[in-house]
Amino acid sequence: MIRLNNVVKTFPGKTAVHALQGIDLHIPAGQIFGIIGQSGAGKSTLVRCINMLERPDEGEVWVNGLLINNLGGRRLRDERKKIGMIFQHFNLLKSRTVYKNIAFPLELAGFPKGEIAARVKSLAELVGLEDRLDAYPSQLSGGQKQRVGIARALATEPDLLLCDEATSALDPETTKSVLQLLRRINSELGLTIVLITHEMAVIQEICDRVAVLEDGRVQEVGTVVDVFTRPRSTAAKRMLQGFLQPTVPDKLAEAGKKLLRLTFIDQKAHQPIMSRLVREHNVDVNILFGRIDQMKDTPFGVLMVEMDGDSEQIDTAVQFLQEQQVEVEVLG
Amino acid sequence: MFKAVVEFFQSYNPMTLTILRDATIETLIMVGASTALASFAGLPVGILLATTSKDHILEQSFLNRILGGIVNLGRSIPFIILMVAIIPFTRKVAGTSIGTTAAIVPLTVAAVPFVARLVEGAFLEIDSGVIEAAESMGASPLQIIFKVMIPEALPALILAVTMTSVNLIGYSAMAGAIGGGGLGDLAIRYGYQRFRGDIMLQTVIILVVLVQGIQMLGDKIAQRLYHRK
Repeated sequence: MIRLNNVVKTFPGKTAVHALQGIDLHIPAGQIFGIIGQSGAGKSTLVRCINMLERPDEGEVWVNGLLINNLGGRRLRDERKKIGMIFQHFNLLKSRTVYKNIAFPLELAGFPKGEIAARVKSLAELVGLEDRLDAYPSQLSGGQKQRVGIARALATEPDLLLCDEATSALDPETTKSVLQLLRRINSELGLTIVLITHEMAVIQEICDRVAVLEDGRVQEVGTVVDVFTRPRSTAAKRMLQGFLQPTVPDKLAEAGKKLLRLTFIDQKAHQPIMSRLVREHNVDVNILFGRIDQMKDTPFGVLMVEMDGDSEQIDTAVQFLQEQQVEVEVLG
Repeated sequence: MFKAVVEFFQSYNPMTLTILRDATIETLIMVGASTALASFAGLPVGILLATTSKDHILEQSFLNRILGGIVNLGRSIPFIILMVAIIPFTRKVAGTSIGTTAAIVPLTVAAVPFVARLVEGAFLEIDSGVIEAAESMGASPLQIIFKVMIPEALPALILAVTMTSVNLIGYSAMAGAIGGGGLGDLAIRYGYQRFRGDIMLQTVIILVVLVQGIQMLGDKIAQRLYHRK
């Protein structure tokens, strides 16, 4: 679907900003692909390079088998019509009603009036705003505005939707409902979604794959389950700190007992592994922290435990856990 | 107080009324025509100033600087001097260099750069994210100008036209220097040169009412178009 080869972008100035320093990325069709990074990591620039709102200085951007960064003028505008985009601050036209906002891209593309009316109606139903068509953006809540933004982005039936911090200006409740809508669109319309965010929760909620961006480079790419449970890069580890990975209080770390973090993924989260561990391996287990959650559709659990027993027993206990495909990380 | 008002009307010369009426009509013609023409000519200049500025849809820094320089030049020439300086041009356009119609020419020329700057300001006020969104939907520069920038800036554009016409009422007082007539001219010739304080007062009252009326009308239209409450 999308392939970026060595994309470089620098913003010149007194102190030049090296926003992207050689990005290689493959985004498969039909997935929800998340790009996460702190502010200043270059993620906004990256997503804008996909539809050429920012032109990369070097490298190639392939969208749907087309080298898009060689295009200009009308060819580029035609390609952009196949790529929807939603924004953090919605960017609706204040002088237009909801109806007219959703109709806007269709007007640009020269659709006949009747066709526009039919499409706007079904899009408004899709996002649940069929009774607010005559309202102006100023009369809508943040969540409603983003729904208009989504309807507008989908109007020309694109096969790719870019989301630039689409939920960052929304409260947690509204964020959830907007994310559910994006998920539904992804599964019902088979639309590829690329979203950038600085919120781990957004990635966890709906993404299939994630790329971790830092200092204008991709630090790590993989499925959300892999990256969240087995982060390899320091950037990913740092970002995950305090999110799914509970931090160890200093006092406990000093106590000298074996401190372990166990991660159970998917089916493992349902099985009584802990009770077998205690019964079969004669160790005492003290649970310090536990949490069960879900990554998109994958259930997973995290336990932080203290293990007591002689060191040999502990070693075989750890081995047993690993045989059960539980992620074990020794913290102290 | 009441007695004074009655006396004023009893001794009122109907001729004064005719003079005031004619002068008001002249002012309205001069200001109305030059506002319309200047808005018409200033809008594209303002659009060019805004769209060729840095990071805008038609960024052209060289053109922008040249255009900006011309506009600044036009705005820095005092009106009374401009009016006299372009008399040959006025004669070519209006066929004459004296009278109400002729005065429309320098008034328009003086107002175009003013309108252009106001229009530029109105357009640069638009949230750049909205223009970016239109670009992401594949809008052409012309579509962005006509379907995004002008409708989004419409309330500000209306206020710009209002401000221009109020300014032109002030400028039109000087048009008397080339026989343009109008209220300002009347105030100078009768009120000042012939010591007719009463006529001076009446023209001033009409001018105040005119300015207030135009401003109120402009505010009202802008308010109606403004959906940002």
